[in-house]
Amino acid sequence: MRKKHQFSFCYQHYAYSSQQWCWQFIISIGYKCEAICFMLLMDTLAVQKKIMRKTTQQSYIARMVNVVNYIQKNLDSDLTLEDLAEQANFSRYHFHRIFSGMLGESVKELVRRLRLERAAIQLKTSSESILTISLAAGYESDMAFSRAFKARAGVLPSKFRKSEQTRFPCLSLSSVRYVTNEHISSFEPFIDKEFNMNVMIKQVDDILVACVGHQGPYQECGHAWDTLCGALAPEGLLGGDARMIGVSYDDPDVVAPELLRYEACISVEQEFSTTDEISFKTIAGGCYAVATHIGTYENLHETYRKLFGQWLSHSDYDSADKPCFEVYLNDPESTEPEDLITDIYLPLKEQAHG
Amino acid sequence: MDKIDLFKLHKADYIAPKKPQLCQVDNGHYLAINGMGGPGEESFNDAVTALYAVAYTVKMTRKKMALGDYVICKLEARYWSEEGKCLSQADKSQWHWQLMIRTPVNVELNDIEQAAKVLTEKGKTQSVNNVNLIEHEFSHCIQMLHIGPYEEESRTIEEMAAFSKEHRLVATGEHCEIYISDPRRIPAERLKTILRMPVSN
Repeated sequence: MRKKHQFSFCYQHYAYSSQQWCWQFIISIGYKCEAICFMLLMDTLAVQKKIMRKTTQQSYIARMVNVVNYIQKNLDSDLTLEDLAEQANFSRYHFHRIFSGMLGESVKELVRRLRLERAAIQLKTSSESILTISLAAGYESDMAFSRAFKARAGVLPSKFRKSEQTRFPCLSLSSVRYVTNEHISSFEPFIDKEFNMNVMIKQVDDILVACVGHQGPYQECGHAWDTLCGALAPEGLLGGDARMIGVSYDDPDVVAPELLRYEACISVEQEFSTTDEISFKTIAGGCYAVATHIGTYENLHETYRKLFGQWLSHSDYDSADKPCFEVYLNDPESTEPEDLITDIYLPLKEQAHG
Repeated sequence: MDKIDLFKLHKADYIAPKKPQLCQVDNGHYLAINGMGGPGEESFNDAVTALYAVAYTVKMTRKKMALGDYVICKLEARYWSEEGKCLSQADKSQWHWQLMIRTPVNVELNDIEQAAKVLTEKGKTQSVNNVNLIEHEFSHCIQMLHIGPYEEESRTIEEMAAFSKEHRLVATGEHCEIYISDPRRIPAERLKTILRMPVSN
């Protein structure tokens, strides 16, 4: 597995360097270059870019395949996100979002499903009791197992065992399913049919903000905003180009709602003396991928999922180990939820040059 | 204390059917700023920025002082031209406008002056000093919803004009709009605007 991974890395590297060669060539022939020649070169570049994209996606898939195989092999152990991210050289920071974005289900959901699929095979091929199979699938009782099994297969395990035709359905959004005695070698990543996301790459300057932290469900962050706005309004710091920014440190798919960390931020020109509740910090500038979410804040995670799972794996970029942030472009109090506009900023690693 | 939402409280003032309809809009308090020129031009945009800056500063300052919370209403605008000339015939640069945001009656002039003062100190646009607190009564109006680009309002206005003729009403020459959608992001063909035509019988 490792070997394969290295290969794809080399290939990617090759794609980069050849592109650079092209640019050097353009520069070296400089102004002598005739228009038509230049056009031809641009064509080559476009093709190479496409190849590169393809390669990056292949590399993302190859890396994710390692993770999926690791999960398959270790279905009975505790699978931590750190462990899984390490299997494929993903940074721990945004790993889970890339995972669920590409596979269309969370690690937990995948593990649960693979265990059920394995149980289905055991029901057909072994003579173990249903209780034993239930426990192996991670259920505390055969009752709970039966219920979960029926919800997916449509029949109870006992009936499933007796029937000749019934097959356990693979109800996953991606093409990953449990396989016996072999590795998964590739899969079709889950692609949302409504993938019509416009993503812009932006170079962002450092942003000085006044902020108030919040821990708990995102729906309850209103208090932090009240505190912040209450402190800034009398100073004349609302309005004009003051931007409302939310920094979220955790992935709500993984972290329990009461532990989610969030910061309500408003951009300011300089620090000023104020109450203890308000602190100042700099949101680090750099390269960001920016996608716009239109609609209620409750669905923000869907756009995050698309951005991480689909856009990122198709792009030439890697995410950086910094939190994402959101810029709110309208007032949630006076705007219908479906008209709310939020720009999501995903931090990227600077592209390696040379 | 409950948050006041004037837009919901005065629902009847903001009914926007697809066909023209008569309505009666009573006296209300508004933050307002006056100016001249085409909508979307620099002076207009500057006025919008100033009006919202004052609106949010007043709202959040009062909230902080536990003087009650309220929702910032939609932006409304009245347009007219000198000598009562029909707006569509006048050059846009000659349009007079008054931009308004409806505000609870307990907001006082003092709040607005204070907000303008701190905003000016922080170097925000000077126009914040032109924001006023006014009372206005639209009274009898014909009202309907326009969906689409602002430039295509004439077809909706014609419909309203025909309605007023049918009901033997005379337009006062003033044209009002209430902006429901955010033109920065909502595509022009989906923009929702309430058009209001004050009439007298």
